[in-house]
Amino acid sequence: MKQRFLSIALALCLFVCGGACSSQEKTKYNTYSMDYFDTVITITGYEKSQGDFDKQSKEILDMFEDYHRLYSIYHRFDGLNNMCTVNQLTDGVHPTVKVDKAIIDMLLFAKKMHTVTNGKLNVAMGSVLSLWHDYRTVGKDNPQNASLPPMDKLQEAAKHTDISKMVIDEENSTVTLTDPLMKLDVGAIAKGYAVEQVALALEKKGVTGYVLNVGGNVRTVGSKPDGSDWSVGIENPDGSDYIAYLNVSDMSVVTSGSYQRYYYVDGKPYHHIIQPETLMPAQNGYLSVSVVCKDSGMGDALSTALFCLSKQDGLALINSIAGAEAMWVAEDGTKSYSSGWNKYVKK
Amino acid sequence: MINMKIDSTKKHNRNDIIFIVALLLIATFGALYLFVFRDGGNTVKVTVDGKTYGVYSLNENITEDIHTGNGNLNRLVIRDGKAYMETATCPDGICVSHKPIFRDGESIVCLPNKVVVTVTTTDTDSPDVVI
Repeated sequence: MKQRFLSIALALCLFVCGGACSSQEKTKYNTYSMDYFDTVITITGYEKSQGDFDKQSKEILDMFEDYHRLYSIYHRFDGLNNMCTVNQLTDGVHPTVKVDKAIIDMLLFAKKMHTVTNGKLNVAMGSVLSLWHDYRTVGKDNPQNASLPPMDKLQEAAKHTDISKMVIDEENSTVTLTDPLMKLDVGAIAKGYAVEQVALALEKKGVTGYVLNVGGNVRTVGSKPDGSDWSVGIENPDGSDYIAYLNVSDMSVVTSGSYQRYYYVDGKPYHHIIQPETLMPAQNGYLSVSVVCKDSGMGDALSTALFCLSKQDGLALINSIAGAEAMWVAEDGTKSYSSGWNKYVKK
Repeated sequence: MINMKIDSTKKHNRNDIIFIVALLLIATFGALYLFVFRDGGNTVKVTVDGKTYGVYSLNENITEDIHTGNGNLNRLVIRDGKAYMETATCPDGICVSHKPIFRDGESIVCLPNKVVVTVTTTDTDSPDVVI
């Protein structure tokens, strides 16, 4: 009796130990970089060793460095034609600039998204957005002197936001801005587009089990090693809890929120997503809008566009795009969803 | 008197066996509980200077580089259900020499880098990525 009992107990112990020891062979690694896109890049991946992960994440960060240098509208780099070069003026006009194919492709995508979002996403808004950028920078550094850009200046700048004045010559790989007072600002699309290109490069290599998070643009590459989905928590702006908990693989999740970048003028917050019609921070009653779709560049553009649209128009837009779903969080915390959002919600 | 003494010894022997068997049962079920039922909810919470840095599942092998500012770094490793500090830039290295933690409430503190790693039990497992 005693022996039988002991052998059962032993067998149970062996069974439990065996199960526990053989369950994992890949380890989950994380690393960060704060060097690119003026934001935090987080790479999460499953690999057999730290060395494997370091090698892969270095490769990923090298790709991000290339895109960062090409798409930067604030930094110039010696011997490189980037978005700064496209925006520069020589003798009062924008010269025709020969650029890398990665810039041509991104600008073509931006043009497409301008059409898709009915003008809500417009990379030709640079002159308006740079006014806001300058006033926000001053206001953040020196809150006592914080002020809003004057409306007459904004309206003057808004006359130079016609995206058809951005002339792309694919064959010769050149860009020309034919309006000298126009500037490109790719802030609402370049980051997401770069994340998508890096993810596609990884997929092409057969990499799975990775998640890239570039300042709110989350892109999952494959599923986890055990075949399960990644869980993505969308945090409450005050950091207290998760407003949504999603399960996705091979998908992007992007959130645009008024809490991400803002400054105070006379005690009132002014965020960074500018409504093309009013030239002021978009006021559609949202705290944030999140989008789930395959393409991270698309997600980036859509989340910004939805933030500038009424709920009804936004719903019409999201329903017109196959495989895209959205969640709106109103200023009072009320959440509403597109019809297919629920299939990504963690059960 | 003598008879009674023998009687009580006999009783003792039987009680001893019951006691030992009961102990064995408790130990076995206790071990089973620790191995089987206790996982699923156990996480480690990392705070840097009092602010939550991240929450990680103890059920997964994880290596997390905790950047604490000014180039300081603590590398937290979770392996086989236990969490420990593998490397740290702190001068004293107390956190690195701390034994691996896994019991609810146990913690590793790195005072110089203001990192606190605490084992907590949560109902919901932590997400892989947070935005």
